[in-house]
Amino acid sequence: MAADLNRVRRARPLLGTFVEIEAAGPVQAEVISAIDAAFEAVSIVHTLMSFHDPDSDVSRLNREAFDQPVKVHEWTLDVLKTSIELHRRSGGLFNVAVAPILQRMGLLPSPDDAATGGRRPVLDAVELLERSMIRFRHRHAKIDLGGIAKGFAVDRALDALRGSGSLASGIVNAGGDLAAFGAVVQSAHIRHPRDPGRVVCRVDFANEALASSARRFDSFRSTETAVSAIVDRDGQTPANAIDGVTVRAPSCMIADALTKIAMISGTDAGSLLEHYNASALLITSDAEIQISPDWQNAVHLAA
Amino acid sequence: MTEWIRYVLPAAAIASVASPVYAMEYLSIEEAQKQAFPSATQFIAIQAGRIWKAEAGGRVTGYFIFDRVVGKHLYIDYAVALTPAGAVHKVEILQYRESYGGEVRSPSWLAQFVGKTNASPLKINGDIRNIAGATLSSTHVTEGVKRILAVYGSRLK
Repeated sequence: MAADLNRVRRARPLLGTFVEIEAAGPVQAEVISAIDAAFEAVSIVHTLMSFHDPDSDVSRLNREAFDQPVKVHEWTLDVLKTSIELHRRSGGLFNVAVAPILQRMGLLPSPDDAATGGRRPVLDAVELLERSMIRFRHRHAKIDLGGIAKGFAVDRALDALRGSGSLASGIVNAGGDLAAFGAVVQSAHIRHPRDPGRVVCRVDFANEALASSARRFDSFRSTETAVSAIVDRDGQTPANAIDGVTVRAPSCMIADALTKIAMISGTDAGSLLEHYNASALLITSDAEIQISPDWQNAVHLAA
Repeated sequence: MTEWIRYVLPAAAIASVASPVYAMEYLSIEEAQKQAFPSATQFIAIQAGRIWKAEAGGRVTGYFIFDRVVGKHLYIDYAVALTPAGAVHKVEILQYRESYGGEVRSPSWLAQFVGKTNASPLKINGDIRNIAGATLSSTHVTEGVKRILAVYGSRLK
């Protein structure tokens, strides 16, 4: 790489985490404005897909989409289309309609009406209509895009960097969901889900995305696990047995969503990973690491 | 499809690359001021080291507030740029620090970070550029921004 590239690295609090963007290019002012545009893209995704913001597309859908079709932003539509495809291809494992269960578990705030509590997630709850209109098939359906929107935001930010034209390379890291472009091999250190102070391995990647999911361990309370935000296939209980998953995929949206499926189905997710040209690294509860066959060269274990 | 590759993680091997602290300096206060208000010709301190008024040709273009919150264990320095009307214009992280391992509970270990300025930046484990595997919560920064808005949003005008 040329020595006279300007490298700029910035971080802002977005999507409930720290989004960090680094880019390099010949003109510093262009690098900075590209990074600003990338943060702006993340901010738009945040505004559209927040479960907590009453004006977001997600909140409008959850309030109104059973009673009448709701028009959404094209980015929200993209995420819903991919969610529905993943729902189908994963045999229902990936499901954005799990919000009522997460509310019952205390992981999402509950609205005033008690009618949402205690219900199982509704399968195939979301119907795509013409002209970016969405309708819910069930009265109590509620969606949460938390399992996929962060990856999508990373993709949009990377698009903004790439679209600026003059940059040599760029990387976006939204709290561990990353994507990079350019002729630079990037590396990410994967932390142990049970002990975030320890690095399990280093993963090298270029022009692709990485996403990780883990069971939630609340180190302030006890060494026992806190409840996972990932719900098992019976739609009721938190997924266990796998402590953490890292997935490599061409896009961060796909990588993000596939981590949720691999948390539940483990190595059974193999054919789905292959379909999306993705790879996975699993950390099991009994301290075993499992790496999908095509990915061992990029993973450097901490030995 | 071929077999998945399996390894058993020995506890000692994990510990051998344990990192005591991860630190990243993004912007100095001066750099962040210039980027938040590119047209400003001067920054007048209202409260030393903490609050500045940005002016361009005698007109107020906004306010710049430096703050620090505790992240998981260590301080996160950030800045909030406010419009002249007191709305959030920009939030930037200036320095991020995170500690790993048990040593953070020791006050003497924590003391080494107190009083660090931009002139003596913290640069440890510089080879770790990207961390994945567990999402870091930005809740404390978000709460800090809300607090700043509540305290200064109307008072600075």
